[in-house]
Amino acid sequence: MKVPLLSAMVFWAFAILAMASAVFVAFSRNIVHAAFALLGCFFGVAGLYLFLSADFVGIIQVMVYVGGVLILFLFAVMLTGKIRNPEKSNPSRAIPGGLVTMLVTLGLFGYLAFTTPWQVLPTVPTGPTTSQIGDALLGPYILPFEVASVLLLAALLGGVLLAGGVRGRSRLTGNEQDEAPRDSGGNT
Amino acid sequence: MTLTQSVAGLLPELCVLGALVLMLFLDLLLGRKDIRDPRSTGQILTAVALVGTGLAAFFVVRTPDLPGVMFGGMLALDPFARFFKLLFLIVAAFALVFAAMSEEIPRARLGQYIILLLTVTFGMCLLAGSRNLLMAYLSLELVSIPSYVLAGFRRGDRRTSEAALKYVIYGGIASGLSLYGFSLLYGLTGSLDFRELITGLTNLAYSPQSKLVLIVAIMMSLSGFAYKVSATPFHMWCPDVYEGAPTPFTAFLSVGPKAAGFAVLIRFVQTALGGTLEPVIPWPQLIGLVAAATMTIGNLTALVQRNVKRLLAFSSIAHAGYLLMGVSAGTDAATRAVELYFVFYLLMNMGAFLAVQAVRARTGSEDIDGYRALGSRSPLLALILAVFLFSLAGVPPLAGFIGKFYLFASLLETGTMFFYGLAFVGVLNSVVSLFYYARVVKAMYLKNPRGKAMPVPLGPGYSVLLLILAVPTLVLGVYWQPLINILSTAAGMAH
Amino acid sequence: MDRWDGGDMKELAEWVIRDLFSKNPDTWQYTWAIYLAGMALAAVICLGFVAVFAGPVTWVERRTAGRIMSRIGPNRVGPQGVLQWLADGIKNLLKEDLIPDDADKPLFRLAPYLVFSGMFGTFVVLPFGANLIAADLDIGVLYLMAVTTLVVVGLLTAGWASNSKWALYGGIRSAAQLVSYEVPIAFALLVVVISTGSLSTQAIIKAQGGWPWQWFVAKNPFTFIAFFLLLTSAMAEGNRIPFDLPEAESELVAGYNTEYSGMRFLFFLFEEWANLWIMGAITTLCFLGGWQIPGVSPEKISASSGWTFVGWQLLSFAIFAAKVSWIVFIVIQARWTLPRLRVDQLMSTCWKYLVPMTLVCIAGVLFMDLYIVQGGITDKIIRWIMTLLGAAVIVLFFLRARYNYKMDKDKYPGLRNEKMWYPPYRMP
Repeated sequence: MKVPLLSAMVFWAFAILAMASAVFVAFSRNIVHAAFALLGCFFGVAGLYLFLSADFVGIIQVMVYVGGVLILFLFAVMLTGKIRNPEKSNPSRAIPGGLVTMLVTLGLFGYLAFTTPWQVLPTVPTGPTTSQIGDALLGPYILPFEVASVLLLAALLGGVLLAGGVRGRSRLTGNEQDEAPRDSGGNT
Repeated sequence: MTLTQSVAGLLPELCVLGALVLMLFLDLLLGRKDIRDPRSTGQILTAVALVGTGLAAFFVVRTPDLPGVMFGGMLALDPFARFFKLLFLIVAAFALVFAAMSEEIPRARLGQYIILLLTVTFGMCLLAGSRNLLMAYLSLELVSIPSYVLAGFRRGDRRTSEAALKYVIYGGIASGLSLYGFSLLYGLTGSLDFRELITGLTNLAYSPQSKLVLIVAIMMSLSGFAYKVSATPFHMWCPDVYEGAPTPFTAFLSVGPKAAGFAVLIRFVQTALGGTLEPVIPWPQLIGLVAAATMTIGNLTALVQRNVKRLLAFSSIAHAGYLLMGVSAGTDAATRAVELYFVFYLLMNMGAFLAVQAVRARTGSEDIDGYRALGSRSPLLALILAVFLFSLAGVPPLAGFIGKFYLFASLLETGTMFFYGLAFVGVLNSVVSLFYYARVVKAMYLKNPRGKAMPVPLGPGYSVLLLILAVPTLVLGVYWQPLINILSTAAGMAH
Repeated sequence: MDRWDGGDMKELAEWVIRDLFSKNPDTWQYTWAIYLAGMALAAVICLGFVAVFAGPVTWVERRTAGRIMSRIGPNRVGPQGVLQWLADGIKNLLKEDLIPDDADKPLFRLAPYLVFSGMFGTFVVLPFGANLIAADLDIGVLYLMAVTTLVVVGLLTAGWASNSKWALYGGIRSAAQLVSYEVPIAFALLVVVISTGSLSTQAIIKAQGGWPWQWFVAKNPFTFIAFFLLLTSAMAEGNRIPFDLPEAESELVAGYNTEYSGMRFLFFLFEEWANLWIMGAITTLCFLGGWQIPGVSPEKISASSGWTFVGWQLLSFAIFAAKVSWIVFIVIQARWTLPRLRVDQLMSTCWKYLVPMTLVCIAGVLFMDLYIVQGGITDKIIRWIMTLLGAAVIVLFFLRARYNYKMDKDKYPGLRNEKMWYPPYRMP
């Protein structure tokens, strides 16, 4: 199939953006720069989603990952002390082992990706997908959808519980805490 | 099946969820500063949660089997799922009582603990019925994420934080690996449904070029489950988490999520990999090898442990190995043996951790040295703990022996050389395990205490609970036939 | 030659290919070039518009501030000071571009562009008139939400890269604030989306009508409340007083842009003023009927041709711009009227008041949509009541302004000879 020039250009732009940023994230010694490079990665992936005519998913990718995950990453990274010192924050350890793992996984998955007879879905014309996704979420996938909301609730509660101890007060109930850290016996 | 019928089949989970939501509000209302009375608040919250789980258990027993699958193939309500749901609810009920008795869970935060515990229970119940990769993954996460928080529940304790962090990191890696595996399976077959997976995979399995990708996909998919059941090589989190987490949660973790992992693993291998794939992709051998490795590593490492919680952690890894043998055999008899083993394992392992909790509550120690001369300091506690430990080791005439007997028997029934060998490894391991269980017993009865021997008084609550767990361990060891009768249909899975 | 009846730039490009070049857009080999040209054209038009809007509005704001504070404001450059913005712009361009020595230089340079592109990206889906829109995306409203997140990243970058504690505080505050206020905004937009059944901005406008009682703000009590919630949250999202904590000068010097100067500083200011238009455009298109011309249906506009068509487009643009300007003026006035919130007040306003209220609005709108027949008698009565309520709010606004003016006039002798309303040529 002949791919129109513009489509090819857009595809390669997004693909290169995603890949280059990902490589930068992996190899940058400066964690803050790596976190910022994720921005490009997320946008590249979102672009690829759009390219697959999954407009809703693509936009949600930007909203969730850039608007939520990346911001939280940046918060965490920026509020960590001595983060600018790569010796402390990002030391290189076990380079040979990592290299071998990387090459093996790369080779294996690259080989698999090109030799496997994947199930190919019929190409559908690009078009709005939002309403179809909505129907699917409230139709066949209603249970996973609801369970996912319980999961998010649990994660939210967990986050509050873990973070709420800063002032020695329980945020969920507003109670003073009556716990004292206590060492638990011996060690191995 | 219509949505209404599906929801009716989901009643037990909805009870747990209802209790959870109620608990959120109760915790907020009763926890207010002006009307705060931690003790009675804790009792009320525990009672509400127990009523919720009790109601759920009632519905599990009462609802008839549904012929089809619920929610368009997401969940199954078959005897297999119902057995495991009941098991989870019992474990949760015990864990709730343990938590209410423990001093490791601060009273004021008991509500939060219960909420998270109920979330895990909800996830486990869903996991037992999941027959779709999407549902299985979501339920796995629903079990995992609150567990991370519960493992780190004691704030300001370095070891607890370390435990939680290790749990999260290992969990994240395992979950990522399995998600990648699921995506490969989806890419190969275009479906997430277990039943549709097997037809798709079987069609593929005979073409030589897809054999490698099938093995990779299946191994990666299994890694998420392997992490939940703490099978090698995903067992490393286990000792640290068991040691660092609050003891009541360790007790829960060692039985509940592990059983949940086994439930979904058994369903996955039997319905999604099934028998037709076996000649091409030797998954029973694969799981069998993992089982042998898991129990050997667990038992050998347990030999050198000095902390009782760590020791029990390695023992639980070893038990995961025994149970994995049953999974690898893949017959109905083996499934029933696994279920039977879990009933016994619930009794003895929860009991052992309760005893550890009782000792810790009085002496503050979790070391084997802290158990010196427990036989004279607290005769009942020492006796019951010895019963649990010997049962875990599989010494007749205790329940653990019966469990192992059925497990090995189901392996031998298959009649292949591989499973004979596997059973032999299992028996060898049981012998090894006797050493370290006996070390604790030896410390309790044959060693003199270091320093002054303080008596360890046992409160009425602990005594009653320990007896509730210990008596069945003894009785079922000699008279187990009723349990076999109950379990006779429990291996059935919906198609 | 065929009429251009398209909705957005893509269709314009296709029309150009089909009718000017007489080629099939699907097969012609230079289609991509026309597409690219269309994109560039849309970008240039939007950029020009933003510049022309953001500049003068600074002057409007400063004159309004002067009026509210009983002083004059800029009135030297050009008649009544209308060219002040040009002078300021040139001054900023000529200033030395300073980068602090210890700053994280690449990020420091990058930040203004991130902020600017996040702001500018929204113009893709913001309509200007009946057929004047860069791209009528099917997921328009979601796209709006998504692309503005880039602004957050940019502000956070600016704050961190400056290597100054004031800037870092400002950056972190802005990130916390923007991320939080995105939630009520999204929920308030959801109210509109539920009423429309589409995420496309043009579809939202077309679901309303030209007359005030056909607007979503008057649809039912819940949309009425949602309008004010959206306006409030949008002010916070745009870092406007009373929510301008990221740049609270009394605490943080100038917040995230403390270390910036010259052109880069101008980018931040530019973003802020352009944001006024975005804010106004979003509220207008969601609740105030957008560019709808009273008495003229969108079908009639697209059925017309030639100069009539152009005329309708211009009229719709004028109506849209008038509504947006009105909102912008309210926002400006709020800035010089209200005191700044504290950080904890800011957060509790969002999470304890706005978010629950928007959730109630969503539930209410769902209920109303289920039980009230569109165009039925109940619907009409509710719409009329809401319209009157809206009118009452506006009347109250003017009465209140008049009352305050009179109070001040008695207190300050300097005001004694001033008229309350300026003559039109001196406005504001």
